[in-house]
Amino acid sequence: MPLAKSKSLFEPELTSFADIAFLLIVFFILTTTFITPAGNKLDIPSASADPAKSEDKQLTITLVGQDIRYGSQGERVTLDDLRRKLLGQNFRAKPPGKRIVIVNARPDVPYELYFEVVMAIHGADGVLALLEEEEKAKK
Amino acid sequence: MSVRRRKRMRAIVPTASFADIAFLLNIFFMVTSNFIKEGHIELTQPRSPEIEPMKEGQVSVALDKNGDLWLQGKPCPVEVLEEGVKALIAELGEKTVMLKIDKDIRQEKFGPVFLALSRAGAELALIGQKAKE
Repeated sequence: MPLAKSKSLFEPELTSFADIAFLLIVFFILTTTFITPAGNKLDIPSASADPAKSEDKQLTITLVGQDIRYGSQGERVTLDDLRRKLLGQNFRAKPPGKRIVIVNARPDVPYELYFEVVMAIHGADGVLALLEEEEKAKK
Repeated sequence: MSVRRRKRMRAIVPTASFADIAFLLNIFFMVTSNFIKEGHIELTQPRSPEIEPMKEGQVSVALDKNGDLWLQGKPCPVEVLEEGVKALIAELGEKTVMLKIDKDIRQEKFGPVFLALSRAGAELALIGQKAKE
């Protein structure tokens, strides 16, 4: 008796695979958002060094509430004035040790103002130094 | 005279490799995608005309609008920030810390964060939005 030939060759349908894969690609392309952060890197001298020791030689900017006070005399300036004054310091021509600007911010200062002042210092090639008021108060 | 009939050529586009290409593209996207770790942190970035686009760093610290501190997208008290950042710098070999702070946060909150990061030996990258001059 002749045996019946089985025709059970399994052939998977591959054409729809490409469609699925391309749909996934379209999904990734449409949902991907390329985020490029914007900001500036800061060179902050070590917090263990006490910038206050040489405070008389360094430029100090004091921030009180929304006010910017420039220099040891505490001259009130606007942000644009500050930018002009910092550019006038010509930090680029000075050695790194003479580029330090101490920013003394009071507890009520919003970050927005602090950020703009720090960026203005960075834009003028100055080097920000942090003042450890908390540490001093503890002592 | 007998006219020779042209044989009709059937254009066959081989589509078998399409799936391979598509899957390779998928794998590329999956491997290179970097999912946002801090999507749940609510903060408004400050603006400044002086900032420039920069390369994304691996270590990130955020201080949200409620004054809560986050290290790598996870809550972190300021007291342990220094240690946490030191460990990450040692592990990843990268000193740059992306610092994102809400624009309305006061110095009493962000001051200790700056000091902790400075003590940890981090290079700060202050993140903000470019403002029109």
